Amino acid sequence: MSSSFLTIDSICKRYGLLRALEAVSLDVTQGEFLTLLGPSGSGKSTLLAILAGFAEPDQGIVRLNGRDITRLAPEARRFGVVPQGYGLFPHLTVYENIAFPLRVRRSRSASINGRVRQVMELLQIGSVKSRLPRELSGGQQQRVALARALSFEPDLLLLDEPMSALDALLRRDLQAELVRLHRQVGTTFVYVTHDQQEALALSDRIVVLNHGRIEQIGTPRSIYAQPATRFVANFLGKNNLLQATAAIGPLGRLHFHWNGHRIAAGVTAPFEGPCSLTIRPEAIVLTKVGHSSQGTKDRILGTVVNHTFHGASADVIVAVGHESLTVTLTAAASPPVPGDEVWLAFDAERLWCLPEADTISPAASATSPELAA
Amino acid sequence: MILPSAIALGREFAGARFQIAPVRGLSVQDGLVIGSVLVLIACYLLPLGAVVALSFLVPVPGIGNYWSIFQNATVHAVVGKTLWISSLTVGLTLLLGYITAYALVQAGPVARKLMLAGVLLPLWISVLVRNYAWIALLSPGGIVNSILIRWGWLDQPVSLVRNSFGVVLGMVHYMLPYAILPIYAQMARIDSTLPHLARSLGASPRQAFIRVFLPLSRPGLAAAAFLTSIMSLGFYLTPAMLGGGKTVMVAEFISIQVTETLRWDIATTLSTLLLLVTGALVWRFSHLLELATAKPKT
Amino acid sequence: MSASSPRSLHPTRLAESTGRAVVVFLVLPLVAIIPMSFSDTRYLSMPHDGLSTLHYWRLFSEPAWRDSLLQSVGVALPAACLALLIGLSFCLGAWQRQGNMVRLLQILMLGPLIVPGIIHAVAYHRALSFIGLFDSFAGTVLVHAIKGLPFVVLSVSASLSSVHPATLQLARSLGASPAQALWRTLLPQIRYGIAAGFIFAFVTSWDEIVVTLFITSRNVITLPKQIWQSLFLNLDPVVAALGSLALLATLLALLATSLSGSRLRSLPSPNTIA
Ligand SMILES: Nc1ncnc2c1ncn2[C@@H]1O[C@H](COP(=O)(O)OP(=O)(O)O)[C@@H](O)[C@H]1O
Ligand SMILES: [Mg+2]
Repeated sequence: MSSSFLTIDSICKRYGLLRALEAVSLDVTQGEFLTLLGPSGSGKSTLLAILAGFAEPDQGIVRLNGRDITRLAPEARRFGVVPQGYGLFPHLTVYENIAFPLRVRRSRSASINGRVRQVMELLQIGSVKSRLPRELSGGQQQRVALARALSFEPDLLLLDEPMSALDALLRRDLQAELVRLHRQVGTTFVYVTHDQQEALALSDRIVVLNHGRIEQIGTPRSIYAQPATRFVANFLGKNNLLQATAAIGPLGRLHFHWNGHRIAAGVTAPFEGPCSLTIRPEAIVLTKVGHSSQGTKDRILGTVVNHTFHGASADVIVAVGHESLTVTLTAAASPPVPGDEVWLAFDAERLWCLPEADTISPAASATSPELAA
Repeated sequence: MILPSAIALGREFAGARFQIAPVRGLSVQDGLVIGSVLVLIACYLLPLGAVVALSFLVPVPGIGNYWSIFQNATVHAVVGKTLWISSLTVGLTLLLGYITAYALVQAGPVARKLMLAGVLLPLWISVLVRNYAWIALLSPGGIVNSILIRWGWLDQPVSLVRNSFGVVLGMVHYMLPYAILPIYAQMARIDSTLPHLARSLGASPRQAFIRVFLPLSRPGLAAAAFLTSIMSLGFYLTPAMLGGGKTVMVAEFISIQVTETLRWDIATTLSTLLLLVTGALVWRFSHLLELATAKPKT
Repeated sequence: MSASSPRSLHPTRLAESTGRAVVVFLVLPLVAIIPMSFSDTRYLSMPHDGLSTLHYWRLFSEPAWRDSLLQSVGVALPAACLALLIGLSFCLGAWQRQGNMVRLLQILMLGPLIVPGIIHAVAYHRALSFIGLFDSFAGTVLVHAIKGLPFVVLSVSASLSSVHPATLQLARSLGASPAQALWRTLLPQIRYGIAAGFIFAFVTSWDEIVVTLFITSRNVITLPKQIWQSLFLNLDPVVAALGSLALLATLLALLATSLSGSRLRSLPSPNTIA
């Protein structure tokens, strides 16, 4: 990894009293697929608009290869943009939309033709080249918008929720295609989405935004396994958050007290005391009472209250005392039914804990705590 | 012609759409259409048709009236003057209207509301009153002249009305709201991110305007051109009041034939030709009607 | 993308000042008549020695002005009702019908708005003389109703376009007769469009001058015609007073609609084509 390609330094942006972005700092590495993930209204599009040069931040600097580009005109940046809703020019055909960046740069017409053909082939839209945008399906529009943004070989591609208008099936196809495209053209992608599964599937790194602040930056795996905040723990995938107390035993081993149970952990926590214990639903082993079960030491007794079938997996809600846990089962031959008594065992390696919400400082959350398992 | 087709249409409609209760004979809706169309024919199309018919019948049947109109030097002069003033005023109106509509979309919400009110206000004040105000402002003894003299820009009063200048001014003033509103309606529909996007794709501000904003606003401009062209050809009141008899356009010329010289042949023939031109414009541009009557969004 | 036009994309500054200048030009004659209306002289001028409401009183006390005001109301009310009757019938009947015939009829209904006034003047001058209604109250009402018709058609069809297309079928499947379906389900949904159409038709008649000049003589003298005649004598400040009142009424109406967020649709043109 070379020195940073695009640097975003303490960006703030306000709309009246609303703080759309607050002290956002971020390094983008050349060639990576970086995803800005956050719920609607978290400031993703605002950040993208600042990168594209459509809006100026109130404070902060954007640097490209060390050069300050915060106030540089959009056309001088060479960033390709695929905005929300695609922003195809409705009066131009597919071909002319894709040729637009080349025409305004006054390229020779022969080279325009060659390049447009090349990009259309890359995205397999040659057959619709003389149609108008309104005559295209959603998926085709998305491809044209991509082609247009790539046609002038930009240094960076900014994509704002390009999948949000598509149906689930098409979305899956296009996700695979986007990954292929990223590999093929090698351009740096900054991708905005509110869909956590999409972010996990596509990205090299994910930046989680909430209320205009960065909650966490990291690889999909590290963010999933070691969320830095309660927000991240809840937002990415299903999770169980339990009010527990961390304690360090006589041998230096960490364990938690929760709901009258003692749970041994495979991780070390930097603190003792009240915390949020997280355990993924798929990291809990469930056995029916009466069956012989392994790891009897730390097992917890519960009662099944609900069962939801999802096809490849099933979610089971288990009541333990006054609290309840979600457990994901894969391919169970005789699934438990409501009323069944079950044993639960937690995978010690996949426990994770967060300090209580109010003790967390935003600065600490900006980088993922490197906790050894 | 129209009536039997309307009935046939009504039947087909009643059968096809109202499958819930098959209607025998005419439905209520058929009756409403037929009744209102009959009134339109009797009270509107018939009188208009009579004008057209007269132009071919009086004083002698045939196309003699048209023949003599095409050779009439006075008519040539009047038509020439009309075309010249019309194109000048339409051109000015479209230019100023486009810029004003652009200023409207760029303005903040409060400024936009105020400006829109300023654009709409003249539409509600009688054109008689407006022309009266122009005369009061611009005549030799008027306010503008006295101000210009007091500031030392003029030595003696000049007449700014009762000549072509007054007519052009009055017509542009009258037509401007009709140009601004459809252009603004169209501009407001343009996705405001597209010009930004064009720039991120490499276009300079000028290119973004010429290649993206202008083509997208063109339907509004076309609707405005359509409306103002039709208006400018038929202007009567403004040239009559502000032209002072010196700038006679087609409509005033026709009125003179009806009230003073009693030349009904010339009046009906010119009216028919004017109707034809208007009809042709409507026929060609009827798809613009919807935008031309679009209401402004605030 | 949330773009808040960060930097001027075009020579926007120039356009903004030109646009403002145009708006000033548009309201200039309207504003100018206000001081004139308070003139204390019998001829048009800026107030000399002091302000006076003389001309506002003359409007209601001088017989010529008072009578023309009454006549205008007397013509405009029935004309607007008649226009509403015809236009509403057509819109209700033609609702949801497609095809070239309907399209043609719709354009014909807009004819009185599009065709130059002078042609109407010539046509009705002949036609009303022919049937003996020249310079009559009835003839004037009829012609004004026809001139108001397009506005009724425009505003009623605009409000019809937002009504659910299956309204009538639904009402009938619930047991309503065709007439009941129209009266009880459709009309209530388009009442704002109807009100707007009526107002526009009224204002059209109230303002009509070109055709009126050609179809009336001594008997019928509406307000615009009285203005027209007064302008031949001198620039009477009464006209300025009238215009100021109209301006006040318009401003109040604009204010009321923008405050109440009324759904009365403001169509661009209540005026006839001059
Ligand atoms: N032009 C604007 N004016 C006022 N508020 C804005 C503007 N653009 C965005 N916002 C506000 O800023 C916040 C962040 O918006 P945005 O970046 O679009 O969120 P996201 O793309 O993550 O959904 C939202 O609360 C939004 O309402
Ligand atoms: Mg967004």
